[in-house]
Formats: sequence, structure tokens, C-alpha cells
Amino acid sequence: MEIKTHISVKNLNIWYGQHQAINNISIDIPDKKITAIIGPSGCGKSTLLKSFNRLIELQDGAKVSGKVLVDGEDIYDPKVEVTHLRKKMGLLSQRPQVLPVSIYENVAYGPRIHGIKDKKKLDEIVQRYLIESNLWDEVRGRLNSSASKLSIGQQQRLCLARGLAVEPEVILGDEPTSALDPLSAECIEQRLLELKNKYTIVLVTHILRQAKRLADYIIFLYLGNLIEHGPAEEVLNNPKYLKTKNYLEGKFIEEPKINKELNLKRTAYPNNFVTAKLALGDLEFGHIVKIIVDNESSAIEIPKAIEHEGHKILEVRKLNQNDWEIVVQKHNGGYVI
Amino acid sequence: MNIRIIKENLVRRTMFGLCLFVFSLVFLMAFGLYQKSKPILAIISLKDLLFSSIWHPTQGHFGLSSFIAGTFWVTAIAVIIAVPLSILTAIYVSEYASKRVRSFAKPIIDLLAGISPIIFGVWGIIAVVPLVRDYLMPFFTKRFPFFPFVSDNYTGFSALTGGIVLAVMTFPIIISVVEEVLRTVSFEIREASLSLGATKWQTIKYVVLKKARPGIIAAVILGVSRAFGETMAVLMVAGCALGVFPKSIFDAAYPLPALIANTYGEMMSIPLYDSAVLLAAFILLIITALFNMAGWGILLHIERKQACG
Amino acid sequence: MVRLRSPQVEENIFIGLMIASTFIVVSSLILILATIFIKGFPALNLDMITKTPKGGYYLGKEGGVLNAILGSLILGIGATFLALLVSLPLVFYLNLYLKKNSKLALAARFSLDVLWGIPSIVYGAFGFILMMFFGLRASLLAGTITIALLIIPIMARSMDEVLKMIPFELKEASYALGATKLETAIKVIFRQALPGIFTAILIAFGRGIGDAAAVLFTASFTDSLPYSLFKPVATLPLAIFFQLGTPFPEVQQRGYASALILTIIILCISIFSRILSGKFTKHTIK
Repeated sequence: MEIKTHISVKNLNIWYGQHQAINNISIDIPDKKITAIIGPSGCGKSTLLKSFNRLIELQDGAKVSGKVLVDGEDIYDPKVEVTHLRKKMGLLSQRPQVLPVSIYENVAYGPRIHGIKDKKKLDEIVQRYLIESNLWDEVRGRLNSSASKLSIGQQQRLCLARGLAVEPEVILGDEPTSALDPLSAECIEQRLLELKNKYTIVLVTHILRQAKRLADYIIFLYLGNLIEHGPAEEVLNNPKYLKTKNYLEGKFIEEPKINKELNLKRTAYPNNFVTAKLALGDLEFGHIVKIIVDNESSAIEIPKAIEHEGHKILEVRKLNQNDWEIVVQKHNGGYVI
Repeated sequence: MNIRIIKENLVRRTMFGLCLFVFSLVFLMAFGLYQKSKPILAIISLKDLLFSSIWHPTQGHFGLSSFIAGTFWVTAIAVIIAVPLSILTAIYVSEYASKRVRSFAKPIIDLLAGISPIIFGVWGIIAVVPLVRDYLMPFFTKRFPFFPFVSDNYTGFSALTGGIVLAVMTFPIIISVVEEVLRTVSFEIREASLSLGATKWQTIKYVVLKKARPGIIAAVILGVSRAFGETMAVLMVAGCALGVFPKSIFDAAYPLPALIANTYGEMMSIPLYDSAVLLAAFILLIITALFNMAGWGILLHIERKQACG
Repeated sequence: MVRLRSPQVEENIFIGLMIASTFIVVSSLILILATIFIKGFPALNLDMITKTPKGGYYLGKEGGVLNAILGSLILGIGATFLALLVSLPLVFYLNLYLKKNSKLALAARFSLDVLWGIPSIVYGAFGFILMMFFGLRASLLAGTITIALLIIPIMARSMDEVLKMIPFELKEASYALGATKLETAIKVIFRQALPGIFTAILIAFGRGIGDAAAVLFTASFTDSLPYSLFKPVATLPLAIFFQLGTPFPEVQQRGYASALILTIIILCISIFSRILSGKFTKHTIK
């Protein structure tokens, strides 16, 4: 299946002061699909999401390095107009945050600041997006009343309409249903499923079942590291790595106990694979070895080859610009007598 | 599209300019007043100005010491009255008072802060002057015929009168700052003390007040500074007689701010007079600015410590 | 501190002292208001607020203080407006454009605090210097500028308190739609903070019209109604001051009545802002 990339993250690092929240992540997010970012709380999901529309810059002491390409253009380029970028990336936040104006003005706010002055056109926009977010029937009679009087579920749909009204290309959802009652949450999920034909949707969620219901593509983060990503089917049903598996099963995520470290930098595939294979041969069953390589092709090929040998890959992770870490557990299955 | 960004940048620059303006205003004021007080400093030394008590502008004598003494008297009296009352009130309002008392007392204290100094002066003339003249002074001079209660000023317009009026004017600032500081003392630390079996008062005395001490000191400093610079009310009730070096709380006092205020009109007609008066304003500015820097500096430090956990 | 046998006794003594102190503080305001009302009310009449001083007014002849009432209001409104022009952009800058731990914001806030504590007579003297520097006479304009300087810190500090309480998420919501900071400030934050901003304006206005020391040098005094920016203007506090300064009891009586008028104006402003503030009660003086 041919996947077109919409957002491409390259070597992204984000710090809050001394604390590194995102650790050298590179990933491609597919176009017109729902991508869910999952992981335990505090793992940098929201941080990653907010780096896509540069809202992260408003946090105190936040520092970003690396690239985020949207439609091939680096959004951290100083020449990029941040307002223009944010118009392209609609945000649906955790708690619905309506603006302190009427329902109508909430939706019209975005188009207005982006230059639409014609009253008739605005009316049309407001109606279209309120319908699209399934709120129109509930509010059509009181468009001029205060938005803060709506129920919280209605507010979130209003926020969705408001976000859509600036005609974004991407919808960023930061746990958009976590503050809602189940019915409202379902309503929002339904909207998102309908919208994925038109928009690329990136969704942060800590609800696994929601990810299962909605996502086409999954990104699993743990402590600022990208652990695993891929099509939802694969990652959710058949996770490659131990941490993902533990998370999906609701177990504690532990750092594997490393029995041996192998530094295979400055060697190419397949030479380094042979070294690794020999090292694995000396190891007891069930023991774990950490292999460090410094080129991408090795990082892709070695795990494949080792898996082929019957061992278990626990984790493959990019450490920095050049280095990759592969964590392997010597197979303790059928070979044990 | 671009016009929005241009507008944004233009506004940002303007705002930055305003920020610098506010930042530099204190220095601008100090600079201006200093420039204007230079002529007199060139002729008479600062020491003579500060320590001589002879004030005869027409003859070129500009001794400020009796005014400084006057300032000292009224400020000291105001502080002695206001500090204990304000601190006790603040503790009561923030720790003991019921919600109803609180919601009644707070607006009144705020209102007190908003009342015009002139009104305090009028009140002083109507109520405090007779009080001092008819009751306090006879009482004190009869019972305590020694320093600082002996005076031959029987008008009621005295340092004490000014001090009482000033004390009432400084209540709001001291109370509101102390209250704010008490509120920053965390609940956990009180709980810790209470859980060890301490009574509420013991907790306040040994834990809360100890934690809040720097803030309370700041409140007092700000109160002193407020009393120090208050002009019109003092001018109306403190007597403000020339040629009196106050030696008693019942003597007339002529504080620096009142001196400045009283020279309007005639200031430009006598050589160096304006310079002397603006020097007084300069001294006032420097002292109040220093006091405020100290007070707000302490409060800022507390706030930042609080923010860091 | 005093050591007493029983902690309970000590606590009771201190509670007694605290209640007494609170009573004194609270009753002092009531006492002030009562005194002004009792003394001022008998002398208050329609002439006081509808006529200007006629010849010999300060000797006890007829007239009123309309010149001072109008002068104070105009000067107060003008100064409040000028101060608003500085304060509003300033606090938006501090809260929206600068980061929370910015050194510049810290310096500006600290400066405001210090400025707030500088006595009004010093502002008056500084206004006087400015006046001479620009070749102005004591006038409505000079008085307005001086009072504006005096109330900028009051206004800006109160507004700052209000803006600080606005949730970050609200700004974020607006930025996420592609709004610039300016648009966010004007269309979102301003709307949200409006009651608080209005209260801050009223507090500053009340302080502005109540002040006398700062206008003494800069606005001077006149018996005629304010009609030009470049002519002296009468103010109510100074009118009170001058009337009380005369030796004639009937003029002093009218001074009390003028004090009552000023008190009523300030009370109205206070009460009005209290009604408006509603839940924004924090930003009184800190």
C-alpha cells in the first residue's frame, strides 16, 4: 500500500530547561489517515503534538532542535510565518477552551482574522462547520448566546467547528475526549472518523481502545523515546518490541536488564551482524544484549537477520544523529533442553 | 496576510518602548530632580542643608533639619500606632475571622485605601485635632511631664495628630501585604504543626508568623514609606509652623512633603528657593524609592521562592 | 513573646487584641465617613454643585464649587485615558509577549511596584520640572499628565493581576487558530479580562481625582470653569484645602460640604467597581 507522507519529523529533540522531553525522534505521519500517539502519561505525547504547530514555543524554557517538515517545508525555518502554519494545523485540546464570545463569533473568529470580512460568507462558513461538527441543530436558534453556556460536550464540538473553520489541512487532537462524558466522546470520535477523508488527523490518546477504534497508524512513545510505530493492525495486535507489548498488556514497562553491551560502530552490515551472532552464541538463553551501530541500514537489517536466527528483538531505538541501539534477547524457547 | 505581521511587529516595538519608559521613569524622575537641585548643592554643602535648622529662604538659609525631624516624628508615631494594629488585624482577618466578618472587613479596608488624602485631612481637623487638644495632651502632660510629652503648643495641630491620621492611612497597605504573605504560608506546614498537638495560636505564633516574618518586615517597610511621603493630610493637621524644631509629640511638626507642598506659588520668586524645595523632593524620592525597592524586593523574593516550590 | 501559664489563656488574650484591632481599623473608616457626613451635610446645598465661586466666595459670599467638581472630573478622565494608553499595552506586553520568567517583565513589574510607592508630591515636583522643561504653564494639560504618571502604576498593577489569572489554554486556543498575539490580545484576552480591566480603570480614576499634592504645582487653581487645556484648572481636593484654610466658619462649612461631595464621588466609584469586579476581587491594592 502506497502511503503518502504529510508530516515528516526528522531528528526532533525538545527540552524543557534541563529536562529532555523528546529524544531524537524521526518519523513520518501519513496523509489523510488517523495517526494515534500512544504511551504512558508524561512520555512526551502532547509535547510531540504541540511541536507540529509550534505551540511548544510558548512554553517556558522550551527548546527545539531538528526538523518538522509539513508538505516538505520545515516549519521551524525562521522564514515560516507561524500564524500561517497554525492556520494549517487545527488543534483540539484536552479541555474544550471556548473563546469568551458568542457561539457564532467563536466559529467566525478564525476566518475573520484570516481576512474574511463578508458577513454572508461568514454566515455560510459558520453554518457549514457547525453542521460538519454536528452541532448546528442544537445551537441554530441561539448563535448569539455565550459559548460558555454550552455543555462541555457541545463546547468541544464547537472547538472542532472553530478549528475546521480556518480550513486546516491537519487536525491535531490532544486527548480531545478525555474531559467529556461517554456520549459526547463518542460523538467526537464519530466526527473524526468522518473527517479523515479530508484531513490528516494526529491524535494523542492514553485510551488504548480509542486508539484501536480510530487509528490507522500508531506511534508508541515511552519517556520521550520513539519505541515503535507502524500501521495500527500491526502495532496493536503484533507488537514487535517488549515495551510496546508490556504497555498494550497493561504491564509495567521496565528497562530490560542488559547482560552484555556490544559496540559495533564503524563496521558495516553484514560484518557487524556476524560479530553480533557470535556474541549471542556465547550468551546464556534469556540473557539480553545491547548492540550499538552507527548506520541506518545496519539498524534495519540486523534486527531482521537476528529475528531470522530465532532471537527476540526487544527494542530498536535511535540514540542520536548517528547511533542506533538494538536490544536483543537470546531466544529461550525451543532450544532449551 | 503580511500586513498582519507588520502590524504585529509595530505593536510589539511600541509595547517594548512603553516597557522601557516605565522602567526608566524612576531614573528619569531622579535625574530631573537632581538636575534641579544642583544649583543649591553648588553653593551650600549637603551636610549644611541636612543638619542646619535655620530656614530663611529670603536670606539664603535653607536648613532642612527641622523638617527632617518633623518627618521623623510623624512617621515614627504613625508606625508605632499602625504596625501592631495592622498586623493583628491581618492575622485576625486571614486566620480567625469567619467568612462573614471577612467579607465585611475586606471591602472596608480596600475602601480605606481608596479615600482621598484630603478627606483624611478634613477628618483630622474635625475629629483628631480636638481629641488631641482636649483629651490626649492634657492627660499626658499632667501624668507624664517629661520628654517627649512636654509642649507649649496647645492648638491640637501637632506631630501626634499627624501621626494618628497617617496611621489610619497606612492601615490598608500594611494589612493587605501581611494578609497576602500569610496566605502564601502553605496549608501543609500548618497541618504539620496542628497534627503535633499544637493549638491554633501556637501554630500561628511558632510556625506561620516565623515563616511570614520577611513578608511582615516588607509590609512594615512599605507602611513606613507610605507614611513618609504622605503630604496633604499631614499638611492640614500637623501644625506646620516654621521655626519650630519639634521636641515633643505635641509640638507642631513640619515634614518635608508638607514643606514642598506649601511652597507652591512663592517658589519661583526667591533665588534658590525652588532648588532647595526640589532637593527636598529629590531626598524624598530617593528614600521612598529605596524603601519600596527593599519592601517589594523581599516580597518578590518570597513569591519566587514560592513558585519554585 | 510573653510566656503565660496556659496556652489557652494566651490565645484568648491575643484573640481579644486582634478583635479589638480589627474593630479599630474598621471603625476608623466608618468614623471618617460619619464625621464627613455629619459636618458636611448641613452645609450642602444645590448652589454648591451648580455654581462657580462668585467674587468674595472665600470671604463667605455666595457661589459653589462647580468649577472644582468639573475640573476634577475632566482632569481625572483625561489622566485615566492617558494612563490607559500606557497601561493597557504595557500589561498585554508583560503577559502575552514576554515569557513568564522574562527578566524584562520582572524589571518592569518591579519598577511599577516602586513607582506605586513614590509619594504624589514627588510626582507633583517632577511634573513641575517637566512643565518648565517644555515651557508649559500650570494648566489642565500639565495636571493631566502629572496625574496620569501618578496613576499608571496603580492601573497597570491592577490590570496585571487580572491578566495573570487568565488561563494559558485560552491564549493557546487562539494561537492555534493562527491568530497573532495582537489579535489574541484584542479579541480574546481583552474580552475575557474586561470586568477586571474596568475595575482597574475605576480604581485609578478614583485615585486620580482624589489626589491633591500632584496637581498643586501643575494644575494650579482657578475660579472659572475649565475651558482650555492650557489654562489652570480647579480641582476638588484643592478647593477643600483652600476653603478649610480660610478663617471664616461659613467658608470652612462649605469646605466640609465639598469634602462630602468628594467622598460621595469616591464612594460611588468604589462601590461601582466592586459591583463590576464580582469574582475579580483579588486586584485591589496588593
